[in-house]
Amino acid sequence: MKSFLPVLAAVVVLAVLQVTLGSSPYFVYLASLVGVNVVLAVSLNIINGMTGQFSIGHAGFMAVGAYVSGTTSLLLKDDQLGFLGPVASDQLFFVVSLLLGGVIAGVFGFIVGLPSLRLRGDYLAIVTLGFGEIFRVVIQNSDGIAKGFAGVPGLSLLGSFIGQFGGALGVSGVPQHSSFFMVWFWVFLVVLLAKRLAASSHGRSLKAIREDEVAAEAMGVDTTSYKVRAFVVSSFFAGIAGGLFAHFVPIINPGSFTFVKSMEVVVMVVAGGLGSTTGAIVAAVLLTLLPEGLRSLFLELGGGDASLAQKVDQIRMPIYGVLLVVIMLTRSQGIFGTHEVWELWGRWKKRAPAQPT
Amino acid sequence: MSAVAPEASTAAGPLLEAKQVSIQFGGLTALSEFSLTISRGELKGLIGPNGAGKTTAFNALTGVYPPTSGEVVVAGERVNGMRPFQINRLGLARTFQNIRLFKQLTALDNVRIAIVADSKPWFDARRVQGLKRGGLAQRAVGAALDATNNYRDWWRAFLRTEGFLAEEAALTKQAEALLSVMGLSGRRDELASSLPYGEQRRLEVARALGTRPSVLLLDEPAAGMNTREKADLMVLIRQLRDQFSLGILVIEHDMKLVMGICEHLTVLDHGETIARGDPASVRKDPKVIEAYLGEAPAHAA
Amino acid sequence: MLYDLAQHLINAVASGTIYALVALGYTMVYGVLKLINFAHGDVMMVGVYVGYAVAFLLGRQAASSFLGFMAVFLVAMLACAVLGFIIERFAYRPLREKSRLTALITAIGISFALSYGFQLDVTLTKARDEVTQAEGYRLTSTPCATGDEHCVTILPGAAARRFPTIIESVEWVNIASADGLNEVRLLNWQVMSFLIAVGLMVALQVLVFRTRFGKAMRAVSHDHRTAALLGIPVDTVIAGTFMLGSALAAGAGILYAIKDKQVQPLMGMYVGLKAFVAAVIGGIGNLKGAVTGALLLGLCEEGVVWFGSSSWRDAVAFGFLIIVLLVRPEGLFGRYVPEKV
Repeated sequence: MKSFLPVLAAVVVLAVLQVTLGSSPYFVYLASLVGVNVVLAVSLNIINGMTGQFSIGHAGFMAVGAYVSGTTSLLLKDDQLGFLGPVASDQLFFVVSLLLGGVIAGVFGFIVGLPSLRLRGDYLAIVTLGFGEIFRVVIQNSDGIAKGFAGVPGLSLLGSFIGQFGGALGVSGVPQHSSFFMVWFWVFLVVLLAKRLAASSHGRSLKAIREDEVAAEAMGVDTTSYKVRAFVVSSFFAGIAGGLFAHFVPIINPGSFTFVKSMEVVVMVVAGGLGSTTGAIVAAVLLTLLPEGLRSLFLELGGGDASLAQKVDQIRMPIYGVLLVVIMLTRSQGIFGTHEVWELWGRWKKRAPAQPT
Repeated sequence: MSAVAPEASTAAGPLLEAKQVSIQFGGLTALSEFSLTISRGELKGLIGPNGAGKTTAFNALTGVYPPTSGEVVVAGERVNGMRPFQINRLGLARTFQNIRLFKQLTALDNVRIAIVADSKPWFDARRVQGLKRGGLAQRAVGAALDATNNYRDWWRAFLRTEGFLAEEAALTKQAEALLSVMGLSGRRDELASSLPYGEQRRLEVARALGTRPSVLLLDEPAAGMNTREKADLMVLIRQLRDQFSLGILVIEHDMKLVMGICEHLTVLDHGETIARGDPASVRKDPKVIEAYLGEAPAHAA
Repeated sequence: MLYDLAQHLINAVASGTIYALVALGYTMVYGVLKLINFAHGDVMMVGVYVGYAVAFLLGRQAASSFLGFMAVFLVAMLACAVLGFIIERFAYRPLREKSRLTALITAIGISFALSYGFQLDVTLTKARDEVTQAEGYRLTSTPCATGDEHCVTILPGAAARRFPTIIESVEWVNIASADGLNEVRLLNWQVMSFLIAVGLMVALQVLVFRTRFGKAMRAVSHDHRTAALLGIPVDTVIAGTFMLGSALAAGAGILYAIKDKQVQPLMGMYVGLKAFVAAVIGGIGNLKGAVTGALLLGLCEEGVVWFGSSSWRDAVAFGFLIIVLLVRPEGLFGRYVPEKV
């Protein structure tokens, strides 16, 4: 039961924070944004950092999760489980829609992961990018697909579901169920998974693939199966992140899930250090808060004039690009390399008994 | 040491058998009609000048390059076309000539990766593997069951169940035992890349032993070592064979070393097998002398 | 029907040859460095903007003359060669001995910096200081008004701009059906761009297979360590290859801009990706493959436009790519090279 202690602790801490800070809308919005990015970065790190594959299409899975779970919630908006009461019922539906989005994203992760069986680094990168773009184009053309499916028996239900995606306009009116607690509970879960996976024989097999695929295979590691599993788990959490995102922003449209979003996550993982969950968390927090901070700073400086603040968004992208190049040239292992904060704890514990009491 | 010793195989006959294996790259024949058997307790050598096709032979046996023609049989199963990890699971392990350790992982982790956890999956692993070799429908079912097993394993790692923790502890214990057999106990938590050359070679052997092989293929295990280290290694290789009751095939450049420990030699030159037999007769074979004289007369002398 | 087919074929070949020129750059760089130069398309985009600036400075009359036309091409190609050199020297060369992933991430970073950097609005405006009455330039981020001589655009902003006419569009062939409902049109610039593209490809073929530099290039591509031991100046060859590829991209980019009649910062990313897809389909590292792949891609895209909706066009290239990689990862003309163990 010791294994469940962290979960209990997290629930208590998050609940306390929710009660004390949850009433400030700006804080909740910012914290949710940060949380979603942390989930994205930590999950991408499972593929890119631990397994050493290079996916640059993470936003595609986020889109799948966002659309599936957002649309599900939209359709269930007026339904209620009578015996639970409105709030509990809503939250239950929310969790179900999140899981649905995550699972569908995981299924797509499986499909995208399959080519990785045969492709090496750079090719795989392009294929993931390609899938990301295909997802986006499909969503953009969702109206046409819905019409096409409507006439086909067996697919009409799927057709009407896809019809809700709204093409380029996107989906609006998704109930705003996301809360600080919910977002950060998922952050906690993905971090816990990454940490425990890395410390298990399965995580070591993933790292073996990163270090030397030929040797890993020769030592009995089923490399293809591991790679696909890494993709599926990573995509599941990207889907969850998308679902959480869909439930606190006013509208989701294909523009939220472009190559730019994928790159943002890649920058976080690379800057933090490929293979370090700690690094992914730190970089995700910093790179989300920094533009937000600059934006409010400029808004302040400009005396409410928004034009300067808008520039922050514009200048963010080229800076990401330059940042990647600078990191690669000066410290290609990122901030943390493959190290974790919790390694310090282990080292400290080991040293402690050695000291005479 | 019983923890790491392989279970006694009841299957009669050789553990590894290569029948007229050839490998071609484009028009080039890298290995031609290579035949060899290894049984339990045998220690054989594969020698030949540079570029003779020794490593290619290893790659053909372990499934890195599928043979163009011929047949490889491991533990009674034909393994042509199987993936390297499947062949490894049948009891064939190897080391690499150009040391391929997991450099950024510790010595302990390097060995732990090779060891299979002794877990009880929902669906029996051997039957799942059997299904995966059947027809299309069977393969689909096999893949689904396999996936269920695998995701359940990850789920257990996520929850850190009692059973999972016990397996991990057992794994660590086995790995530590293997490290001590290879004299690496003190290096347990050091990164593989930070070890000196000779120890890296030994770590590769420890890692290969972690897969519980019945046959071990060693690709130039003594390369880059000094005379003293080489002598120690020879003793160690014999000792491993007896302790784990292995069949061992050693590739070696250094004739002296091979002559000292192997009971049987196969000599390759330009992909062709030019001689085979006990060391004394191979040493006198004129073809062998010719092949080596052109290359390194010192060894042939 | 037949008229449609002919028209679509013309369009397909027109875009295919342009993709081919860009694809050649990918393939050449991959050949010598084993690196997918992600920024290649963006270098092309920069070239197009340089061409745009030259055409703009020359003015409408001069730019559409033959010399002006040549100037637009040559300056753009030269500028891109320099840019290619800078990128290779300062970003890729220091990483040559590091893992391929490091170089790939760098390439993605450069691509990002260029394509989004060019979306910023930066202008240099000459203004009179109201206190001192002195005139001076200052950097601002408001787009220049047309005809404002005191304003110089440094970075162009995200909006698409009309590419100046450097060839007056003339219909060379127009075959109409009897009822006048269908017609096949062949424009002068389509023919010229085809000829220019083919000319550049032939020149490249000669360079690679008939000259000393080409021989050195092929040697480096085969094994750059051995090439270095044999006294081939590997750094120079790689830099030269980069410059050559970048110059070709600039030429292709201007042809593309003539076809598309506009320039925008993201064009590099999209054209670049498609050209990359073409290079992979043909078998990356193989010159003939790149051209074939590009023509196939052009046909495929045009086919989708014909049968379906053009909004699917961008997805087609990637769909095609994924299928090719799954069925034949080494591409149509590529050779499968087993990893050395």
